Amino acid sequence: MQTRTGDIGTLAFPSGKRGSLRRILAVLAIVALLLLYVGGKVKIVQLGYQLEAMEKEKRDLERENSSLRIEAASLASPARIEEIALQRLGMVRIAKENLIVVKRQPQPVQLRTPAPRAK
Amino acid sequence: MEQGRKDRQGRILLIVALIGLGFALVAGRLVYLQVIDRADLAARAERQQQRLVKLESRRGTIYDRQKRELAVSLEVESVYGVPSDIENPRQMAQQLSRILREDPKTLERRLSSDKHFVWISRKIEPGRAAKVKDLGSKDVGFKTESRRFYPKKTLAGSVLGFTGMDNEGLEGLERSYDKELRGVNGWVLAEKDAVGRTVFPGGPGFQYRLPKAGNDVVLTIDEVIQHIADRELERAVTAARAKGGVCIVMDPVTGELLALSVATAYGRPAFNPNEPQRHRSGEWRNRGVTDVFEPGSIFKVVLAAAALEEKVVHPFEKIDCSAGSIKIADRVINDAHRSGVLTFTDVIADSSNVGTIKVALRLGKERLSKYITAFGFGRRTGVDIPGEIPGLLKDSRLWSGVSIGEIAIGQEIGVTPIQMAAAYGALANGGMLMKPYLVSRIVDQAGGAGKKFSPEPVNRAITEETCAKVGRILRQVVATGTGKQAKPTGYSAAGKTGTAQKIDARTGLYSKKEYVSSFVGFVPAVSPKLVILVMVDTPEGDIYGGTVAAPVFRAVAEQSLAYLQVAPDDVGGSVLLVNR
Repeated sequence: MQTRTGDIGTLAFPSGKRGSLRRILAVLAIVALLLLYVGGKVKIVQLGYQLEAMEKEKRDLERENSSLRIEAASLASPARIEEIALQRLGMVRIAKENLIVVKRQPQPVQLRTPAPRAK
Repeated sequence: MEQGRKDRQGRILLIVALIGLGFALVAGRLVYLQVIDRADLAARAERQQQRLVKLESRRGTIYDRQKRELAVSLEVESVYGVPSDIENPRQMAQQLSRILREDPKTLERRLSSDKHFVWISRKIEPGRAAKVKDLGSKDVGFKTESRRFYPKKTLAGSVLGFTGMDNEGLEGLERSYDKELRGVNGWVLAEKDAVGRTVFPGGPGFQYRLPKAGNDVVLTIDEVIQHIADRELERAVTAARAKGGVCIVMDPVTGELLALSVATAYGRPAFNPNEPQRHRSGEWRNRGVTDVFEPGSIFKVVLAAAALEEKVVHPFEKIDCSAGSIKIADRVINDAHRSGVLTFTDVIADSSNVGTIKVALRLGKERLSKYITAFGFGRRTGVDIPGEIPGLLKDSRLWSGVSIGEIAIGQEIGVTPIQMAAAYGALANGGMLMKPYLVSRIVDQAGGAGKKFSPEPVNRAITEETCAKVGRILRQVVATGTGKQAKPTGYSAAGKTGTAQKIDARTGLYSKKEYVSSFVGFVPAVSPKLVILVMVDTPEGDIYGGTVAAPVFRAVAEQSLAYLQVAPDDVGGSVLLVNR
């Protein structure tokens, strides 16, 4: 029985089956490539869905953040703070007679005494 | 036999021919679709599979001078329906009307229309959107849109203005700075899958343009001072049952507006930009820049400044006002109260019409007209709010014989509150007329340089020396004259009262019932930090500027100066001296 060493290394194949093996390998390679290509495409689509879901989550969080910012700004409005201070906490505006202005006392000018001259 | 074979062969040939013809037709169709009609079909497929998703730009935020939010955009949902898909429009309308608080009949009409797409309610609150979603109906859809919110509600409402349904600025600063605030929308070319979900393809063919967010706008307005002005003006308008009012607080050195408050008529709610449709269109405008009024006695300061600058009078020169009236051309003009011989300082402090007109006649119409223009009257100040008018000022060549007297006492001339505040600003800062402005900077969201606005001197109205003289006269007005109620505790003040008769629209003559009460001045009198104008339109009962407007000036001045931590300069004996 004749054997022949092929291009693929040390493995030996019967010469009659060489052509069909090559064809099988070629088909397998094409199928593998197609699977890789399709798999890649499917992965891109899946990642696209994932991206969209995450984008939505991000948008929702951003919306919630903006909503909270608006609420914070609304709660910090001077009209609301004043109302709480005056009505709920019973605070009052300072009366004129209770207003004392504090000023820094002018510092007395300190005259330097000249150093005694050396005799 | 031979005949039978021939028939069979004929049938086979016929079948082969028919099959061949069928293949030929299919091949022909394929050629037509793939070659001849290719471009058109490819475009149609693209249209069906691809979707241009609009990426809405975020409208910029408007901040006060301390970067506190005054106008913010938020993404909310709009509800739409496809009438052809809705089986029971009446039932759907009733369900939606309970949540959206809209008329069920109007909704039903919309849902029964023959249109392919109808808006049910746009930009609804998040809570309501959730309730509509809970209905679980497939007949309504949601679209995210941006909505403008004004978290401080009525605060500075007429300054900020408002936006329309498509986020375009319609009034106030939202309109003037629309181009800056709006930004540029983006888009992305996405693909749709079999069930209509959006798929972003990625890769080198991915086509998109990112949206450019609108720029933020930082105002010169301080929300605390604005609140003080709003509150005090509102109180005065309510107490006087007036038709409205304006209060302006300005930095005289720079022209920055710290507050611009506009009060609506007594009994009407303050303008809230969150719901402009609930207000009359007349309440949308900013009366501080769009409305003209005859200033009355607050305008006498222009004559005083002009006369002192031209040295036609001395502050202590005595002027005989004992007659209580003066005839000029064919008109007799009276004083509100008969006075004797007054110094020129007292003429202004007591607001004598007779004394003012006597000095105006010495000055002459050309020189008076020159100073009126120098103080910025008769032309727009250039403030950022849309709709500003230049006021009403006749060319001096068209003045009648009585005009010089009338104009000197603030009649026969129309001014806007912002012009008046700017003119007093010039008196407060040493004579330089400054352009009033509301926007201090524009911040570029994309990291660009943005813009910064600086104080803009317009022209020198009078010299510093004359300003000092006018300042002393105006201090006298507050100390002993008609403006005593304007004196803030702890601070010196200078200003002028005004009580101007309005023109009766029916008769065309001055009304004896309707007045504009005003007070304009600056605090502290020395090195002023604030110019404050108060104008109350048509008060009932008490009508005088000294009693209606001056107390508002005092309250706004006291609270604003304390907030700005300006040290009191006029405290009498109640000073506690400390060493450190």
